[in-house]
Amino acid sequence: MPIEISPSPENPHRFQRRGFSCERAIKYFFASNAGLTLVILLLIIVFLLKEGLGFFPGYRRELEIYRIAGLEFVDISRKNLTAHEQLSSVLNRAYFAQINGQCARELKRSQEAAAVFNAFSDQTSATRELIANHEATGMDRGSEMLATLNNNHACQKQKALDSLPLTPHLSDTERAELIESIRARDVTTVGDPPLVTALAQQYASAQQQCAMPIAEWRSVIDSFEAAGADLSALVTEMTDAVTTTKEAIQNNDILENDRKSLLAAAANAKDPSERQKLMAEARDSLAEKPDIEGPMQSLMLRKPDCIATHAALRQACEGILAMLPPSLSQSDANRLLLAARKASPLFLEALTGTSQQITQWRHDKPVPLSDSIRSFLTGKDWVTGGAWQDFYGILPLLAGSLMISMVALCLAIPAGVGAAIYINQFASPVEQAVVKPVIEFIAAIPSVVLGFIGILIFGTILRDLSQLDGLAWVPGFPIEERLNIFTAGCLLALMSIPTIFSLAEDALNNVPAAFSEASDALGASRIQTTFRVIIPAAFSGILAAVLLGLGRVIGETMVVLLVAGNRIKIPDFSAGLGTFFQPSHTLTGIIAQELGEVPLGSVHYRALFVVGILLFAVVLGINATAHKFVNRTTN
Amino acid sequence: MVTDLTETTSNSETTAIEIRDLSFAYHEKPALHEITLDIPARQITAFIGPSGCGKSTLLRCFNRINDRIPGAHLTAGTIHIHGIEINRPDIDLQELRRRVGMVFQKYNPFKKSIYENVVFSLRLAGIHQRSALDDSAEMALQSAALWDEVKDRLHSSALGLSGGQQQRLCIARAIANQPDILLMDEPCAALDPTATLKIEELLHQLKEQYTIVIVTHNMAQATRCADLTAFLYLGKLIEIGPTLEIFSTPKDPKTLSYISGSFG
Ligand SMILES: Nc1ncnc2c1ncn2[C@@H]1O[C@H](COP(=O)(O)OP(=O)(O)OP(=O)(O)O)[C@@H](O)[C@H]1O
Ligand SMILES: [Mg+2]
Repeated sequence: MPIEISPSPENPHRFQRRGFSCERAIKYFFASNAGLTLVILLLIIVFLLKEGLGFFPGYRRELEIYRIAGLEFVDISRKNLTAHEQLSSVLNRAYFAQINGQCARELKRSQEAAAVFNAFSDQTSATRELIANHEATGMDRGSEMLATLNNNHACQKQKALDSLPLTPHLSDTERAELIESIRARDVTTVGDPPLVTALAQQYASAQQQCAMPIAEWRSVIDSFEAAGADLSALVTEMTDAVTTTKEAIQNNDILENDRKSLLAAAANAKDPSERQKLMAEARDSLAEKPDIEGPMQSLMLRKPDCIATHAALRQACEGILAMLPPSLSQSDANRLLLAARKASPLFLEALTGTSQQITQWRHDKPVPLSDSIRSFLTGKDWVTGGAWQDFYGILPLLAGSLMISMVALCLAIPAGVGAAIYINQFASPVEQAVVKPVIEFIAAIPSVVLGFIGILIFGTILRDLSQLDGLAWVPGFPIEERLNIFTAGCLLALMSIPTIFSLAEDALNNVPAAFSEASDALGASRIQTTFRVIIPAAFSGILAAVLLGLGRVIGETMVVLLVAGNRIKIPDFSAGLGTFFQPSHTLTGIIAQELGEVPLGSVHYRALFVVGILLFAVVLGINATAHKFVNRTTN
Repeated sequence: MVTDLTETTSNSETTAIEIRDLSFAYHEKPALHEITLDIPARQITAFIGPSGCGKSTLLRCFNRINDRIPGAHLTAGTIHIHGIEINRPDIDLQELRRRVGMVFQKYNPFKKSIYENVVFSLRLAGIHQRSALDDSAEMALQSAALWDEVKDRLHSSALGLSGGQQQRLCIARAIANQPDILLMDEPCAALDPTATLKIEELLHQLKEQYTIVIVTHNMAQATRCADLTAFLYLGKLIEIGPTLEIFSTPKDPKTLSYISGSFG
């Protein structure tokens, strides 16, 4: 008998599947959900790439204009000019640090007296002005209003007098005299109290006295500053010329783009008359090619001039810098002086190299696409929205993100993993019941709120602490900026501790009890079991926990935007540990800050998308690695 | 510390473990009732009985590994090992466990190399000289009849061994400590007959040096290996005697019905 392969519906066999089953519907429902998430992820990637990849050609064109308009040429000289200005500023700061260091006592006395008077005026001036206005408008003197105001003024005055700041550098009689003179003031008194004026004068004369012995040095600094004048004039002059060219080219680019889109529209237009009209419009908007060669030629004529100016500057500076004093008596001033001494050979070397750079520079050297990619990946400047030239270099942001993550991980790994080990291995059930939910609760705090805490506690208090004299030995202290890498790192550590803690605790929990039982049976103590058996067995799980914590840290935006200080600059690594107390910006922060303000579709807008792509790739990579480790534990 | 040696009964030379009126409970639920039993030194004693009768619980009292389980506690009675009461508060648990080794039903080598597994207890004791470790490792693996199979891959992962080899590795790991007493909770339950035979042969050799207590569900195994067999039922010791006697002429009808296979 032949086997019937296709069962007829009229004559079903015993196991015939019948109709539509509910089970299948449920299955398809879940399958479609899973599919949807995949599709969304794909769409996100496609969208990011579509918006981002246009960046590189656009940036290439910007760099090309930068070159053909001659901005790049001017920047060679400008760079030296900036270095010169920075060096002068350091020297000036050293000079004033020396003077102020020597008359520190006078400075403090003057400042304290002024602080007392300011504290008083801050509290009373508002009412005082009201009264003065009142009288000026000629209201009758006996009015009720005026009486109230006067009364208020008296109260405020008393209150202010009761809470004047401390004056450790003023003698008691001086303080009493000052307070007396303030008390004697009435609404109409103008000018500072006599003691404030006197102390200010004392300070000024002390400054003059201190400046006398280093007058020679002052003239060195002055001549150094003056030496840059020629270069400065030259740069200003060239700047005007090249910016005009640049604007012309940019306008032409815009017109050209318009024309192209008109032509494209014409090609698509169905109606012949419509097409004619569009074509005509396109022809009209055909811009005149801007003159690039002319200005460039005149710019190139300046080459010998530039070289000569640089050579002169070099000569002058070399002589002047040799006359710097070997050391200064005030430690602050001396530190600045040393910095200047260290920087000056580099500066001179840069000046020497410039002439060659200038001769070799060519405006018609092509700018390949790879240049824009390189400039993005290795650029040290992220400058946007400026009149001169925009640069999109990722390094300052990347450095900020990495350093903040480093700080965060250095704090969060010991805290998170340590807490997990303690809670999992040593804590009593009561401790477990309390600590676990508390740590996990941290994860629920909105990051904006954490940002407040960060600004207040970590920022302000830490900075104030760092300025105590007793703590000056701590590397990196005193901290100048309230918002800095360290603050952001601390907060991110706080945010990533719950992630690291929970996952590490899970990993420890997943170590089979048989391991610890075997270890116990061999005579191991609790600590030995923990460190020799449990932690090695959970190691990859703990590593995965740390990586996922890192992913969270790198991707976090709100906190870093609030507390990292947002200065776009590669941290100055010469500061040692102090590097961590500098402000910085991050990959996430820059997107959040700038995306809302940039014109849609501009190069800047696309640059932010490329930053986003980079971030996406980094976090994806971290998570993929973490998953690898998680899988390794479960196997 | 341990001064009470007068308590020692006269036969402490030949009796390794002395259990008197031992009762044990998990939280409020009693698991053992008034067990009194002597386990002779350098012999193999087998515990048999139906599932849940308390064999493992009793065995795990001997190295106090039950302390790990929250709520498990002794309600009455004493256990003396070589004359010393092991439930006294001043007992050093780690030292006790070094003297009383244990092999579990499910083999559980650490995720380390074979070598590191064997020398684990030595490292715990703070021994780091390479030569001492090497000697002990070889000795233990020889005793566990594993040396020839693994001597070429001592430093590869222990998890790459077969089940039987892993169980013998666990025995080697326990032996490396040179304990006096070896507790084995169904050591062959997860193994095939060949591996089981190997371990039984091993037990015969180990008997020369160690006092062995073994829990087994396998009557044949008990008859093959054990010198003494104890039958437990519902947390009570029903009968103990030389293996041959228990299996040929059991005194208690419950024993008879258990070994004849009418329950359990
Ligand atoms: N961790 C525990 N918590 C509570 N009760 C337990 C625990 N372990 C064992 N028991 C109980 O103690 C009694 C004895 O258990 P035990 O494990 O000693 O039996 P067993 O004879 O070894 O059984 P098997 O042959 O199945 O291994 C059982 O009733 C069991 O339910
Ligand atoms: Mg058992």
